[in-house]
Amino acid sequence: MNGGEIAVAHVRDRLLAPAHVDEAVIGRALGELAGGGADIADLYFEVTSVRSWRLEGGRVTNGSFSMRQGVGARAAHGAAVNFAHSADVREQPLLDIVRAVRTLARHGDADRHPRGVELNRRASAHSLYLPADTAAVEDAAAWIALLERIDQTARAADPRIVRIDANVRAFDSGILFASADGEIAADIRPLTILSMMVVAEQNQKRARGQAGIGKRAGFPAFDIASVDAMVATAVRMALHNLEAVPAPTGEMPVVLGPGYPGVLFHEAVGHGLEGDHHRKRLSAFDGKVGQRIAAPGVTVIDDGGLPGRLGSLGMDDEGTAPSRTVLVEDGILTGLMQDRLNAGLMNQRSTGNGRRQSYADLPLPRMTNTFLANGTHDPADIIASIDRGIYATEFDGGQVDIVTGRFNFTTIEAWLVEKGKLVAPVQGATLIGVGHEALQHISMIGNDLSFDTGMATCSKQGQSLNVSVGQPSVRIDRMTVGGQAN
Amino acid sequence: MSELLTHGEQELRDAAAMAVELAARHGVSARASASNDGFAKIEMQAGEVQTAERSGSQSLSLTVYRSGQRGSASAATFDRDAIERVVTEAVLIADHVQPDADAGMAPPEWLAFEGPQPHMFAHGRRDTETLMASAGQLDQAAIAVATASKGALRVGQSVAIGSEGIWALATSDGFCRSSRTSNDGRWCVMLAQDESGSTSDYWQSQERSPETLLQPEEIARRAAERVLSARGARSVRSSRHPVLFDARTSATLVDELAGTLTGTTQYRRMSFLVEPMGRAICASHIDLTEDPFEPLGLASGGFDSEGIAGTTRSIISGGICDGLFLSAFSARKLGMAPTGNADGFFNLRFTSAVDGGDWQAMLQRLGTGLVVTALEGGSTDPASGNWTHAVRGLWVEGGAIVHAVTDVTLGGSMPAMLNGIVAVGSGVERQGAIRTGPILIDEMQIGGSA
Repeated sequence: MNGGEIAVAHVRDRLLAPAHVDEAVIGRALGELAGGGADIADLYFEVTSVRSWRLEGGRVTNGSFSMRQGVGARAAHGAAVNFAHSADVREQPLLDIVRAVRTLARHGDADRHPRGVELNRRASAHSLYLPADTAAVEDAAAWIALLERIDQTARAADPRIVRIDANVRAFDSGILFASADGEIAADIRPLTILSMMVVAEQNQKRARGQAGIGKRAGFPAFDIASVDAMVATAVRMALHNLEAVPAPTGEMPVVLGPGYPGVLFHEAVGHGLEGDHHRKRLSAFDGKVGQRIAAPGVTVIDDGGLPGRLGSLGMDDEGTAPSRTVLVEDGILTGLMQDRLNAGLMNQRSTGNGRRQSYADLPLPRMTNTFLANGTHDPADIIASIDRGIYATEFDGGQVDIVTGRFNFTTIEAWLVEKGKLVAPVQGATLIGVGHEALQHISMIGNDLSFDTGMATCSKQGQSLNVSVGQPSVRIDRMTVGGQAN
Repeated sequence: MSELLTHGEQELRDAAAMAVELAARHGVSARASASNDGFAKIEMQAGEVQTAERSGSQSLSLTVYRSGQRGSASAATFDRDAIERVVTEAVLIADHVQPDADAGMAPPEWLAFEGPQPHMFAHGRRDTETLMASAGQLDQAAIAVATASKGALRVGQSVAIGSEGIWALATSDGFCRSSRTSNDGRWCVMLAQDESGSTSDYWQSQERSPETLLQPEEIARRAAERVLSARGARSVRSSRHPVLFDARTSATLVDELAGTLTGTTQYRRMSFLVEPMGRAICASHIDLTEDPFEPLGLASGGFDSEGIAGTTRSIISGGICDGLFLSAFSARKLGMAPTGNADGFFNLRFTSAVDGGDWQAMLQRLGTGLVVTALEGGSTDPASGNWTHAVRGLWVEGGAIVHAVTDVTLGGSMPAMLNGIVAVGSGVERQGAIRTGPILIDEMQIGGSA
């Protein structure tokens, strides 16, 4: 089990006890923080170790270990948020940042709660992921051997592979959230990211391929079969791009393969449905809840409770349990993703989407695992339906302009399709659209829903988080494709 | 002492030196850095403070070497227990990894034991009260511009930020120096409404001293000017045309060019310009120079994180590459001498021997084609140089702006784009480390739906 008292004890042992901070100290700090009539007052403690090993030139020649810890203090009065943080979590620095927050809020010493807050609302346990000592140095030999195997497997796969870089980063993180409402909740968050990049070379031409696996678990979760599949993906992508021709340009039908291409829905729908953009009336979807924004059959969901996905959290960074939010149901815009601040200001409830990069960042409404639900079409029929267009299976991330709803994402593995057949690999092309228009052009949805391999990240206001994206194969009748060729 | 910082320069030098000294007891050579940074930031909208933030961070990082084996570790505190743990962890890592003959300390003869340190710090008020007042002035200036626009504009957000930092470096060769930095930023986001919805744009002023920041009225005016020019934007037909990048987006091209000339990119062959030294990599009228020592430059520095000083030098001269950005490690990998660029490039200036003239003259040179004012996403493939982006901009015919453009893609190949540079305009802007004017490229593939 994870969360609950197990995780509270973990953070206490790792961070609080060595700093001589106990729940009474936290309660007193919260009492001060909540003074001046704050609507929200909370503290967020974090202790994180990161261990990495890096392979280049066939050998693991580099490694690092870093330790990070700290506490962030937040108080909100209406929509005004005051925030300070410190890497030193001892009582005096803790009280210093609490006072800094009060000074920022211009509430001086008025209305303090000298007796403090009693932390009597305690979170329950969860089993979405289990505590694991991911950053243990004892796993060093095993990781190094695995990285060397990756190099050998990739090198043996094709003589055109001239360069292989691979690395593993293992995070061992414990967080504890406490609020002036008397809540205390903690979570142990293991995370391991294994990634690789290869370069293929032939006739003065170079191309890259990349792949990775991310899991909320340690070394034992990385089985050989999935690691070999990762290597095969990177090699295949590099060789594909080595032979790729310039992508065509202009409006055409597009088929997106299953899995990571679901980043389309993350960008085109998800960001525009985060509560903060709606409260500030900045989103292109402002005022469109209840309206049709996509073709019938299009159902998009954000679910922070899916086992095995990196966007899943036993609780969000405000102590709220994950939930399943239907963003688009059968084409109708239905829901927003909320953190506590924006939910409170909009008279709604938090949906468990309050996330932050670290103790030094403010929580924001963020996505968890966002995906398009399955349809009924056979994926082969979807490709066969294209007269001339693009079939894309891997992307290099994406972006959206919240205000206009304009999104874009760039392929790193795609084909030109003619008469229902894949005729040639094409170089990277940027696909663009406007959220509330592009989704109207979805005409076929496959029955092959899958998710990314644990490498999806999302950046918002400078904060990067692990998320998951997914979808079945989809056909979009009309999209602007931007390549080098005319 | 600054109210944003919790440690002094001597304290940081002592912490770094202690890490090196404790590492020496394990028979390793070592390099340690200690840093302390603090900032205050105020975000305002419509007369109300949205977010007020005070931040302090600190870090101690150590890299140890023993016969080609290396290990790195870091912690967020400077107490002796933490430093001892950092040393233990770094040595443990070095014990586990394979040796790399190119890994090792920079040779002492390369270290900048003495030598000039450019000014990177300016005194100035960076307390939250001052920033609150600055953000308020910017917000008021933005409100005034929006009011005068008679409903065409909405105020987005006005932000004031001040930061200070200290960084100290010590090595087992006896190097121990520190530097102090400051940064001041103000930016303003404005929104404009047209038939197709809202659009937004911003203007930012970033300096090392609050004294040299643009006036709030000017920041608001420029943000308004940019977003107003984007109203009524529409797509264009797919075509091949010349493309003029404005100074802001040109800085991104220069950044990508410089990025491909860094040592790590080069020795990993993850570059669209492999083995570029002595080769023509740009149009023959292009020069790129680097200056680490510009007073109050946003990317100035007396030495890099290995203790090596940069030099004021040419990187590209007449289109020929004559310099790379190298650390000691990447220099050894390439059989070259280090250049003091372990942390990337210093201040860069991208110029052309062809005097492109002012903005109007550049529009005339463009003739009929696309002006790019924003890169909205996309990717530049580091290995192949395939360049594909979603862009926003202006459609120009006969040197005159016809309408704003959105919903278009732009595609090209970096080597071809660099060779296809026709001129660089005189309207130079600074974006972080990079100074450039608008860059005109002979032809690129525009993708649209009109």
